Amino acid sequence: MVGEERVARYGMVIDLDRCNGCGACMTACAVENNIPPAQPRVNERTGLTSMRVHRASNHRGFPDHEEVFIPISCQHCGEHTPCMSVCPQNAVDVNPLTGVVSQIPARCLGCRYCMAACPVHARYFNWFDPEWPEGMERTLNPDVSVRMRGVVEKCNFCHSRYQAAKAKAAAAGSREIDPADYVPACVEACPSGAIVFGDLSDPESDVALAAKSSDAFRLLESLGTDPKVYYLSEREWVRRLGGADVTRDSLEVHRG
Amino acid sequence: MDKTLILRGVRRCSTGRFLAWLTPWTLLLAVGLFALGLCLVRGLNQTNMDNRFAFGLWIFLDLAIIALGAGAFFTGFLLYILRKDDLRAVINSAVVIGFICYSGAVLVLMVDVGQPLRAWFTFWHPNTHSMLTEVTFCITVYLTVLAIEYAPILLRNRQLRKVPSFLVFEGELHKVMPVFAAVGAFLSFFHQGSLGGLYGVLQGRPFAFREGFAIWPTTFFLFILSALATGPAFVLVSTWIVSKVSRKQLVKPHVFSLLAKISGWLLIVYVGLKSVDTLVWLNRTAPQSGANPVQFYAWQPFATWLLFVEIVLLGLLPALIFLSAKRRQSMKWLITGSLLACGGVVVNRFVMTIQTLSLPTLAFEPFMLYWPSWQEVATFLAVVAYGVILYSLSFRYLTLFPQERELQRGGGAS
Amino acid sequence: MIPGVYEFSWSAGHIIFLGIFYGVITLVLATIVVASFRSLKSGRAGRAEAMLWHLDFEDLSPEARRCRHELSGETRSRECPNGFDCRRCAVHPQFLAARGESADPMEEQRIGGFLLPADRSYHRGHTWVRRGDDGEVTIGLDDLGSHLIGKPDQIDLPAPGSRLAVNGTAWELLKNGSSIRVLSPVDGIVLRHGSPGDDWMLEVAPADDDLSHLLSPSEARSWMLREVERLHLSLSTGFAGGALADGGVPVDDLSTEIPPGEFDQVCGLMFLQP
Repeated sequence: MVGEERVARYGMVIDLDRCNGCGACMTACAVENNIPPAQPRVNERTGLTSMRVHRASNHRGFPDHEEVFIPISCQHCGEHTPCMSVCPQNAVDVNPLTGVVSQIPARCLGCRYCMAACPVHARYFNWFDPEWPEGMERTLNPDVSVRMRGVVEKCNFCHSRYQAAKAKAAAAGSREIDPADYVPACVEACPSGAIVFGDLSDPESDVALAAKSSDAFRLLESLGTDPKVYYLSEREWVRRLGGADVTRDSLEVHRG
Repeated sequence: MDKTLILRGVRRCSTGRFLAWLTPWTLLLAVGLFALGLCLVRGLNQTNMDNRFAFGLWIFLDLAIIALGAGAFFTGFLLYILRKDDLRAVINSAVVIGFICYSGAVLVLMVDVGQPLRAWFTFWHPNTHSMLTEVTFCITVYLTVLAIEYAPILLRNRQLRKVPSFLVFEGELHKVMPVFAAVGAFLSFFHQGSLGGLYGVLQGRPFAFREGFAIWPTTFFLFILSALATGPAFVLVSTWIVSKVSRKQLVKPHVFSLLAKISGWLLIVYVGLKSVDTLVWLNRTAPQSGANPVQFYAWQPFATWLLFVEIVLLGLLPALIFLSAKRRQSMKWLITGSLLACGGVVVNRFVMTIQTLSLPTLAFEPFMLYWPSWQEVATFLAVVAYGVILYSLSFRYLTLFPQERELQRGGGAS
Repeated sequence: MIPGVYEFSWSAGHIIFLGIFYGVITLVLATIVVASFRSLKSGRAGRAEAMLWHLDFEDLSPEARRCRHELSGETRSRECPNGFDCRRCAVHPQFLAARGESADPMEEQRIGGFLLPADRSYHRGHTWVRRGDDGEVTIGLDDLGSHLIGKPDQIDLPAPGSRLAVNGTAWELLKNGSSIRVLSPVDGIVLRHGSPGDDWMLEVAPADDDLSHLLSPSEARSWMLREVERLHLSLSTGFAGGALADGGVPVDDLSTEIPPGEFDQVCGLMFLQP
C-alpha cells in the first residue's frame, strides 16, 4: 500500500512575526472540531483548545519590551512520537502515508499518560460531558465525530478535511489530492496568513521552503522528537523560546 | 457473640467494642464512596486535575501504596524461596496488607481513568512499547495471585476450616504456595519496575527522563529497589501499629530486627545507586535533552531541599539506623527508621509524579501547582477505610500472627 | 489483537510480551486446577478429618506436643512429629523394644485428683479405650475430661454404622456455648451407644488390633501429671504461671467454676482443639 501512494509528511510553518494573537485559529478549530461550549466551571486549565495561542515576552522594560504570540497545536512528532509510544491501548495512530498523528477517541481509556508524555502539552482531556444548548446542535460539523467525556483529544490536522480532499480526488479519478483542497481550519481562518500548511516532503511546496528558512525553528528540538510544526521569526529572542532550557523565562510562580 | 468465629487461645475485644471501632471507618468509607460515586457519575471534573496536572493525588498515592505493598511479595519471596523461616511470623499479615494495597490501588485507578468500562481495551489492543501496558497486565495478574494467597488464610478460620471441602482445598493450596510466591515475585519485580519506567521513558520531560539499560530506564531498577527496601519496613511499622492498637504482642522482637536488617542493606544500596543516577542525570542526561538542571529546582516548594530530604534524610538516615545492630534492638529506633524509609519512598513517588508535571517544559510556560479537591481526598480516604476494615476483620477472625498465642501464654521471650 | 484487524501485526515485541504474560497466567490457572483436582481426590478419599487434625496439631503449643516417651522419661526432649499417631512413628518401636516388658500396676491411680483406672488404654485427647471380650472396644471420656465438662448441655453421638478415624471426631459435646469435638482414639465402626448408666459412650468394632498409639496405664500416669499441670496453667491468669494452690482436688464440675470467657479456651487446650 505504501509503495502505491506517495508518502507525504504534512506539516505547518507559523510565522510568529505575523501572528497578532487574534485567536481566529482557536475559534475556527473549535468550530470545526465540534468543541462544546464551556460549562461554568471550566477554566483555562480544563478547557479543550486543540489550537491554543500562548503569549510570551522578552521580559524587558519599556522601550525594549516586546511580545510574541505563539499558536501551539499538536506538533505531530515524527520520531519516537512520545504520545504514541506510551498509549497502553494503541489509541494513537501515526499515519504512515501522511505523518499525521491522530487520536482514536473510541479506543481511548482516558488514562492521560499521553498527556504527561507530550512535551508541548498539546493534548486535552474531556473533563466534562459535552453539552450543547437547545438549537446549537445545528452548528455541529457533520464530518467530525463528537467525543465523549473521559477521553483525550488533540489536533489531527483536520483529518476530515483530508478525507474530503481524498474523496474529491477519487471522484476525479486521481490518487493524489490537490494541496489546495486540504486546508486545516486554523490555516484557513488566520487573517494575517501566518500559518502555511502542506507536504514537507514536497521540496517545492510553500511549507517546505519556509521550513528551510534560517529564521525557522521548532519547539524543543533538542528532545529529538522531530516535530512537523515549524515556527518563523526574525527575532532571536523568539527563536530561543523554543529551547528546552526554561531558565531564561517563566520564573514566576503561578498558582492554579 | 461472634466468639465461635474467633480462634481459641487468643484474646479479642467484645463484639460491641469491635463494632464501635469499625463505625468511624465505615462512615469514612461511606463518605468516600459518595465522592467516588460523584466522580464516576459526573466525571473527572469533580477533581482538581487539569490538562497540565493530568496525574494528581490518586496516581501519586497509588504509586506510593503499591511501593509499600511490596512487602507482601518480598516477604513471601524471602520466606518461601530463600527460606527465612523467621518471617512466617508476619507473612499472613503482609499478604493481607498487600491485598489491601493492590485492591485499593486498582479501585482508585478505575475511578481515575476517564472510561473505566474500557479497562479491558489494554488487553485487547496492547501496545507492547508502553510501560503502562506492562503495568496493567502485571498488576491484574498479581492481584489475582494475592487473592489466591489470601484464600488459605481465610479458609483457616475456625469455622470455615470445619467445612471439609474448604479444608482440603486449603491444604492443597498450601502445598503449591511456593509456585505463587515465585510468580508473585516475578510479577512484582516487573510492575514495580515498570511503574518507574513510566516516568523514565518520558523523553518530553527532561526532569523525569533517564538513560537506561536496553528498553529499561534507570528509574525501572530504582523503583524496584526502593520498593524492596521499604517493603520490610512497612511490614514492621504496620505490625507495630496493629500491636499498639490491639494492645498485644504479636511477634517476637528478633523478627523486627531481621526485617530492619534486610531493609537497611537494600536501602543503602538504593541510596548509593540513586545518588549515582541523580548525578548522571543532572550532568549528562538532562543537558543532552537541552534542559538546564537549574530549572528542575528553581521553584519553591520543589527546590533542592526536596532532593536532599528524599535521598539523605529519608534514605541514607534510615539505612544507617537499620544497619546499626545496637539500634535494631530498640523499638523506638526501629519505628523511627521505618517511618523515615516509608516516607522516603512516598516522597520519591511524589517527586516523580507531581513535581514532574509541575515543572514547565516550554520557556513561556509557568510553573504550576495543584491542590486536590475534597472528592479526591475522600476517595482516597475511602481506600484507607476499606483497608482498615478489611484488616480489622482479618485480624479478628483469622490468624494473621502465628506467634500471638505463644506470646500471650508468656512463652517465647527472646 | 487478531491479525488483520485494523493493521495489527505480530512483532517480536508482541510475541515476547504476550507470550510471557499468557504463560504466567496459564501457570497460575494450571496450579489452581491441579490443586482443585487434588482436593477433590482427597475429599473423596475422606481425608478431610485427617487434614483438620493436622492443622489443629500444628496450632498446638510446643508444650502440648511432647512425645509420650519424653513424658515417661525415656528421652530428654522430643516433640511429636506424627500428630500423636505412634503407629506411623519410626522411633516408637525402638522405644518399645528398649523398654522391654514392664508390669502394669493393676490398681487404679489417682493423679492430681483424677482417676486413672488400670483396665484401659488412654488417648491424648482425654478418651480411654477398653477391650471387650469379643474383640470390640468401648470408648469413654476420661476423668479429667468428665470433670472439665461436667454434665454436657448436648451430646451428639455418631450413628451406629458410622466410621471413626484415629484423631478424627468421635462425638461432639456442647457446654456453656462451647462446642468440643472429642477425638476418636481408634479406627473402626460404631456399634452401639452407651446407656446413661454405662461408663462408656460408644462401642466400636476396631479396624485392627493395633492400639500401640494409645498410652498404657503406667505411661498414662506421667502424661496425666503433665496434663494436670497444663490444666492448672491454663486456669491461672496473667503471667504468674501456675498460681493455684497445691494439694486440692478438683470439684465435680469444673465448668461451673471456670469463668465462661476462659472455659472455651481451657477446653480447647485440653481437648487438643486450639
